[in-house]
Amino acid sequence: MKHLKNKLFIHDYHKHHVILFIVAIIASLILLFPLYWIFSSSLKSDMEIFKNPPTLFPGSISWDAYKGLLIGKESVLGTAKNSLIIALGAMSISFVVGVPAAYGISRFKIPGVKWIIMVFLVTQMLPSSLLLTPMFLNFSKLKILNTYVAPILAVTTITIPFTVMVLRPMFMSCPKELEEAAKIDGCNTITAFLRVVLPVIRPGLITVCCFGFVHGWNDLVYSLTFNTKIKLFPMTSTIYNLMNEYGVRWNWIMAYACLVVLPPTLIFIFAQKYVISGLTSGSVKG
Amino acid sequence: MTKKKTKFLFNFDKQSKVGLAFILPALVYMIIMVGYPIVYNWVLSFQDVSVFNMAQGVKRPFIGLGNYRMIFSNDVLPIALKNTFTYTIVSLFFQFVFGMLLALLFNKKFFLSKTLRGLLVISWVMPTTVTALLFKYMLSPDAGIVDSFLMMTGLIKEPVGWLLKEKTAIWGPIFANIWTGIPFNMLLLSTGLSGISEEVYESAGIDGANALQQFFKITLPLLRPAIMSVLVLGFVYTFKVFEHIFVMTAGGPVNATEVMATFSYKLSFRNYYFGQGAAVANILFLILFCVALIYLRLIRKEESM
Repeated sequence: MKHLKNKLFIHDYHKHHVILFIVAIIASLILLFPLYWIFSSSLKSDMEIFKNPPTLFPGSISWDAYKGLLIGKESVLGTAKNSLIIALGAMSISFVVGVPAAYGISRFKIPGVKWIIMVFLVTQMLPSSLLLTPMFLNFSKLKILNTYVAPILAVTTITIPFTVMVLRPMFMSCPKELEEAAKIDGCNTITAFLRVVLPVIRPGLITVCCFGFVHGWNDLVYSLTFNTKIKLFPMTSTIYNLMNEYGVRWNWIMAYACLVVLPPTLIFIFAQKYVISGLTSGSVKG
Repeated sequence: MTKKKTKFLFNFDKQSKVGLAFILPALVYMIIMVGYPIVYNWVLSFQDVSVFNMAQGVKRPFIGLGNYRMIFSNDVLPIALKNTFTYTIVSLFFQFVFGMLLALLFNKKFFLSKTLRGLLVISWVMPTTVTALLFKYMLSPDAGIVDSFLMMTGLIKEPVGWLLKEKTAIWGPIFANIWTGIPFNMLLLSTGLSGISEEVYESAGIDGANALQQFFKITLPLLRPAIMSVLVLGFVYTFKVFEHIFVMTAGGPVNATEVMATFSYKLSFRNYYFGQGAAVANILFLILFCVALIYLRLIRKEESM
């Protein structure tokens, strides 16, 4: 009797889980459909893209859009280089400036540190529109409009506070004995920080690097405002321009979109754990 | 004030000096890159700044509240304010509801639950520009999947042409923003949910509470801190929206989807009324500042609890 009851329970349990699984699959399919749509549209031919109603699967797979974007005379590879420079620049500056700051805030008793934390917390929430006009005028005075420096500096105003906020709890949870032991072994404050503490919080460092890079890569508004030379356009500004240029050649635009999305997606796939932990710790704990 | 501060500085012991050395680069950087622009933005908003006097060395006339007066008499301001609030509140509502449902779903352990949940977060890392373009494509009247689908199901007779009509245009960016924001809500609420122990539910189950009662009597109250930060952060992130609208409708048709951020951008960089653009940005900032203050108070309360 007892055995039978157990069996029934397991059966029920399974049924319950199968239903949850099906619901989850349906929800995911709906939510991920737009992603599929970018990719499938990018593979359609110039003819098929105008079909109404649109075909759910490309009738014949055409790589023309990719070929045109990658090799033709309209090649956009140069824009990828621009995006990369901005992304890496933003990542490096926020790392070099942000990581020590997070350490200083969480490790040392400094009068007024609460205010400093609050400053970082609030700057994370600032609208880019607030900084656009004054930055534009300042950058024009400094003659750094139409250089990579302008968007990089602007993006770091978001990524530095983010770096500090994500790493603070991690530094705080890392045992103080580490540095003490390192100092006995002959390290000073700086070498202890670099050689002993940083390796311990490596996951956090990966998180902030991913975010620094993705923020820089995804930026549109700063590049669009500060850099008007097409030669300096990152992929985001370029695709925005393509929209006006190519009109409704959506297969081209979607093919380009796939290329823009590729690096953030790859980072996300390979560093998913870090991205998700950054998303939650960076925003909630503050 | 300055005297007090110098005294304050002298009181630092050695340890805090070392700590300060670590923070100093970031602090100086933020003061130059954020603090100064914020102050400068206020100064600009009281000046008459145009293409003619934006160059170095030219004195800009101080015009007091002139820019603000111009903005408040501009017909676009009420539209932009209304749109910003509509956009924020509608997006926030749906993001939160869907995010909550998904968080509850993925809080259960089943086959592939972790993988699927992780996969959904992709829409949050996507460049906003691409999301906006994608939704623009999906909502387009010719060959857009949304209108075709709705016509297939018989819900509509002819394409809506979402982004082309003043009445429906705002829904385009709202859809795009909901899609972007769902994973964010889901993840933060999931983190909150995982902090509630199974035992609470078990004892409630023994007391005869059904699933709905459990949700409203246990989950919601215990999730309060997570819900609060999700809503406040969501509000801030959505309220300052620029890219979705800028890419999808550019504020049009005829200002129908103008929000504060695009309004400010257009004043500054299309019409070159830098002073007015700065003033609009300041109004946006003030609203967000109030929300941020509420958020900080909530955090403090929680930390002291």
